[in-house]
Parts: sequence; structure tokens; C-alpha cells
Amino acid sequence: MNKNIALYAAILIFGLAAPFVFPAFKVQLSILCILIVLATTWNIQGGEMGYNTFGNILFYGLGMYLCASVQVGMFFPLAEWTESGGEKTFVHTPAQFFQGMAAGLVVAAVVPTIVAGLIGYAILGLRGHYFAICTLGLGVAAGEISGGIEIIGAGQGFTTPPFPNIGSLEARGEFFYFLSFGVLILTFLAVRAIYSTRFKLILNAIRDNEDKAEAMGIETMKYKIIGWMVSAFFCGLAGGIMGGLVGYIDSTDVAFDGREMGVFMVLMAILGGKGTLWGPVIGATLFHIFKEGFWTFFLGWQYVALGVLIVVIVIYFPEGLMGWLREKYPERFGEVVDEADRKAQVELK
Amino acid sequence: MKLSKLFLSFISAIAILFSTSVVSFAKVVGDKIVLGAAISLTGKYSSNGVHTQNGYNMAVDRINSMGGIKVGGKTYKFEIIYYDDESNPKRAAQLAERLISQDGVEFMLGPYSSGLTKAIAPVTEKYGVPMVEANGASRSLFTKGYKYLFAVLAPANLYLDVAIETAVELNGGKPVKIAQAFEQDAFSQDVRLGILDAAERTGSKIIIDDKLPKELNDMAATLVKVKQMKPDVLVVSGHTKGALTAIRQIAEMKVDVPMLAMTHCDAAKLSKQHGKNSQYALCASQWHKTLTYKDDFFKDGMTYAADFEKEFGYDPPYQSAESSAALLVFKDAFERANSFDKKKVRDALAATNMQTFYGNIKFAEGGQNVDKPMVLFQVMCDDAGKCENKVVAPLKWASAKLIHPIPKWSER
Repeated sequence: MNKNIALYAAILIFGLAAPFVFPAFKVQLSILCILIVLATTWNIQGGEMGYNTFGNILFYGLGMYLCASVQVGMFFPLAEWTESGGEKTFVHTPAQFFQGMAAGLVVAAVVPTIVAGLIGYAILGLRGHYFAICTLGLGVAAGEISGGIEIIGAGQGFTTPPFPNIGSLEARGEFFYFLSFGVLILTFLAVRAIYSTRFKLILNAIRDNEDKAEAMGIETMKYKIIGWMVSAFFCGLAGGIMGGLVGYIDSTDVAFDGREMGVFMVLMAILGGKGTLWGPVIGATLFHIFKEGFWTFFLGWQYVALGVLIVVIVIYFPEGLMGWLREKYPERFGEVVDEADRKAQVELK
Repeated sequence: MKLSKLFLSFISAIAILFSTSVVSFAKVVGDKIVLGAAISLTGKYSSNGVHTQNGYNMAVDRINSMGGIKVGGKTYKFEIIYYDDESNPKRAAQLAERLISQDGVEFMLGPYSSGLTKAIAPVTEKYGVPMVEANGASRSLFTKGYKYLFAVLAPANLYLDVAIETAVELNGGKPVKIAQAFEQDAFSQDVRLGILDAAERTGSKIIIDDKLPKELNDMAATLVKVKQMKPDVLVVSGHTKGALTAIRQIAEMKVDVPMLAMTHCDAAKLSKQHGKNSQYALCASQWHKTLTYKDDFFKDGMTYAADFEKEFGYDPPYQSAESSAALLVFKDAFERANSFDKKKVRDALAATNMQTFYGNIKFAEGGQNVDKPMVLFQVMCDDAGKCENKVVAPLKWASAKLIHPIPKWSER
């Protein structure tokens, strides 16, 4: 336990100091926090529950649009703000900006949670590939629908309120960094707390054999829905922050960005090792570093390089980094290893 | 214990990586003025991104080889740091941040497309970094009160309203029936607004008003309606893919319409790709090589086109020409400001009043270029099947007469 506290303290200190130690990287660090949140919440379904969802991007995009809409709508007519080619310019005062952001984030977290409950009730009865395909459709449909709603800018996109002119130029970066870092900590602690309860065991039971779990008297549907609602809550928050950070929301490229974010969250969780607490965190961090690196050094070829990386991961680390470590050093994961038993297993293969 | 050590070393490894990867370019290094640009090298705008990049590179080479930029009695050369924004606004905004805060760039060139420019402008504005952009035409860019954004092109709502007015004129001053289909992106939606305005002015009726998806490969549904409802004008806008898809499917489905007005015909190399099928298409353009503007670096449009073709192997679309012009504007502003102070350069840019091979450039309060009208050209083919874009409006530059109405497919 002591060791763990030292580790958490180190990470916390690193996180708090990071924007001051690497002031030029604030945006990348903020995005890293968001990526970790997305990977960690995806892991609740994909890793622990065995339901490969591509639909979490729905909550992320929803949160993004909701947060920005509330932030604008609280003080100004939203339709005039987003009106294509609008001739009017509204300016938020600092107080309005932060109040709007706070209210926006609450809505961005709550509404997707409710939506997840409703949609979950409808589609969590599907299993395996059917569930995956269905959720994939959700994200695509949301992107196309939101691209046609005039009040949130439709194809013109939605420019989120600019950060007010307070403090230095660094204020904006620091604000969004600490906001996303805060959400990251919140997410991590929440997920960690959940994973230490019976809830996680139920999710694992659903993953391992849903019918048997049901036969044992577990109301699997209830737990599946609750799990999804937890993910939606944090995805919505992440989306809301990301909208403010990017400054411009586009229906399919920024908000319901299933092609990038939607796939990345799965990749990151798999890279780090799904079904573990730390896997998605490590996966997201590595993924982000690799991606930024490829981006700089393989201009125009970054996706090819990324593709090669994915192939390497799938071939050499099919269980992710955490899975690989676990297999190599099972003792360090608190597993008791019986040498004879292990040998017997190897021979069986 | 071991595990936590592993984490600690992992974190310190990241720390080291971050701290060593800060490469500090400054705005001006030695005799180089470093400009930053996020360009779509991949993704849905990649072909236009390359046109933009070629335009920038061509102008950089030309300005550098013709004596560079003289500031404070010293001669400087341009250099551009490029990143790939993957045609994604989120990426573009991040890259702008990265260019400014990590690479130390203090002067920016624009990306391709209005959507990406909209994503980048808040960032450059925040840091007070002057950006001369050549490919973001959406009117909404110029109504936000941006002080550091300058566009060498005319706003998007002016692209095709001339076409509607021409159609009304050819219809004996009577209103026409308009069918329109636009991609759901900032630029095309603005072109749409221009058409709506023109329709209202002329009392014309819009009988089909469709939205096209971003990954545009099929618009058969719209064309079926066009076949049924027989409008006088069909307007299509959706960047390069929109132009190619429209021509391909109109030819396949043999859709007869008296006037077909589009954008991005030259960027899509329509006359080359679709030959006679693209004949009679009427296209909005910021520039055409036959226009008679002049400057010291590229001489005139024809010379620019010839030089560009020699270097890159294709006829320059207006996206390349306007991108080259952006560099000329920057050079002019630096020399007049006689300083690398961002504020001074910004003020010099605002006072720009010059002629380039691409057209006159003078910025309005909002940053758009108000001194350069749009032109319309029509794709015209000779009997041998060789097609060319000929300017038909405005009359001052017209090198051919507009062919109207478009002959039916059965008579071609």
C-alpha cells in the first residue's frame, strides 16, 4: 500500500508540475489527459465487460456540443451565435465564460449519462459483433444528424466561446490543462473505486459467461447499463473540455469523430492491455507519444507508421503491455505461481 | 515495489523525451524568416492541400532567388515549417498551437479550406500572430472581428451569385428555377448563402436544396430529382470531390440542365479528368491565368502558369495562385513594416494595397480582400476533344462567349 501511495504521489506531482516544466506542451498534455479518460472508460465495456463498443464517441460528441451550447446559450441567443455567416459578435465576460463552462460541463456529463441509460436499455441485449456494429452505427448517425442541425452550426461548424483575456497568454492552456487533469484524476479514482467492488466481478462474470452469470441470479442487464452510464458520464466531460480546448466543433471531424477518437480509444486500451486498471493509462500515454513523434518525423506518413506500430502490437503484444508484463512477471501482479503447473501448461500448448 | 519503480522510470523517460524534443526555431533565424503552415497532406482535402503547398513553395523559391526580403538594411529569406493537419480541424488547431508555442513561429500562412482556417484563427488571434491565408473564404471568418487574419481571396458567398444573375439575364430578366446541392462544410454552406441572396434579389425560386455528405462520392439522389423537376440552373459545390462526382454522375445519368454552375473545377482538373463530359460546366474561380494583372516576381498569369507547369507538371489551379500571392503579401508587409515586430507587421498587412499577378490586394476591416472580383470560366472543348477553361465573365476579361443553354446529351 505504501508503495502505491508513493507512486500516486509521484504521478500527482508530475501532473501538477508538468505545465510549468514543459510550458510549450500544455495542449498535448491536456489532450493526453482526455485520451486517458477515453481509454479508461472504454475499458469498462471493452475490457472488463467484454462488450466492444464503438459507441462511446457518441457521448463524447454529445458532451462537446452540449457544453458549448450551454456556455453560449446561457448568455446569448444560440441561433444567432451559430448562424452561418452571422454578422454579430458576442463576447463573454470572464465571469460568464467560467460560469457557462461550469454549467456546460455539468450538462455535458449528465445528459450523455441519461442517453446511455436509454440507449443501453435498447441495445445492450445485443451481444458480440452485433453490439459492436450497432454502436458503430450510433456514432456515424450522430455525426450525420448533428451536421444537419442549424442551431448548432450544422455544416458550418460551431466556434466555441474564446477564452477571455485574463492573465497571461498561458492562462488558457493552464486552465484547460488543469481541467482535463482534474477530470482524469476523477475518472481514475472513480474507476479504481468501482474496480475494487463486487461490481467489477459482475462485469467480469458477464465477460466470461453471461448466461452463467444470469443463471446465478445476477441481473446482468442492470449492471451492463450502469457500466455504460459510468463511461458516458466521463466521456461527456472529456468531450466538453475538448470542445473548449479545440475552439471549433465540426460534426464529423471533431465531435463524433468515430474514425479517429472512436478508434483510438479502443487501440489505446488494447495497446496498454484491456481489462486492467493501468493498461489504458499506459496505452494512451505511449500511443500519444508515438503519434506525436510520427507526426513530426514522418510527415505525411504518420498513419503508415502508426499502422506498422499497431501490427507490431497485435503480433507481439496481443494482450497489451500489461498483459505481456503479467505473463512475464506474474508474481508482481500478486499471482501465486506454481512452477510445475506452469510447465504443465507450457507442455499442453 | 518493482512495478512502481517501473512506472517511475517510465514517467521520467517521458519527461526526458519531452524536454529534449523542444527544438527551438525562432521567428527569424540568421537570415531566415520562418513561417508556419498546417497543410492537408492527407485526408479529404489532400489534393487541394498539395496545390496550396506547391503555391507556397513556388513563391518562396521565387522570392528567395530574386533577392529575398529586405528588412532593416539586411536581406532575409523565407522558410516554411509544414505540418500535416490531416484535413481535420481539431488537428489544425493543435498544430497552430504547436507551431506558435513550440516552434516559436510568429508569422503564419493559412491552411486549405474554410473549416480549418476557422479552427486556426482563434489560436493565431490569441497569440497575436499575423496570418495571411489564401484558402479560407467563408464569410463567417470575416465577421468575427479577427485582427490578425488576412485573406487574399474574395469571400465564398460571392463565388456563384454571378452565375445566378447571368442565368436571370439570359432568361430575359425573368426569375429562374434553381436546383442546388452543397457539401456540409463551412465553405460550401457559404456559397449556398450567396445563392440564397442572389435568388432573393432576382426573385428566383429554389426548387431543390440538398445537402451532400463530406466524403462525397455519390449524388445520384439529387440528380434524379433534377431530371424530374427540370430546373434552369444546377449549382453544386463540394470542393474537388464534389466537382468530380457531379460531372461523373451527370454524364452517366445523362442529366440535361441548361446551366451547370460549380466550384473547384480547375483544382479537380476537370477538363483533363473527364474531357468532353465536363464541357459547358460553369465554374467560379478566384483567378485565371489569362487575367491581365502583373507583378515583378511572376510577371503575369500566363508566365506564372508556364513556370508552375514546368516545376510541378500541371496547370496551376487558383488555389496555387492565391497561395503564391500570400507570400508576396507577406514580403511586401515585412518590407514596409521594416521590422519583425508582430504588431507592426500586422499594421503593415492591414495597410496593404498592391497588385500581384493574381490580382489586386487590399484588405477590408474584417480581413477579406475587397479589391479582387471573382471570375467565371466555362469548360470548352474543340472537336478533337481537347478541353480548356475560358473566362466568360466578367466581360472585361472574357476570352469567350458563354454557351447557353447547354446542349442536350442526345444532341452532343
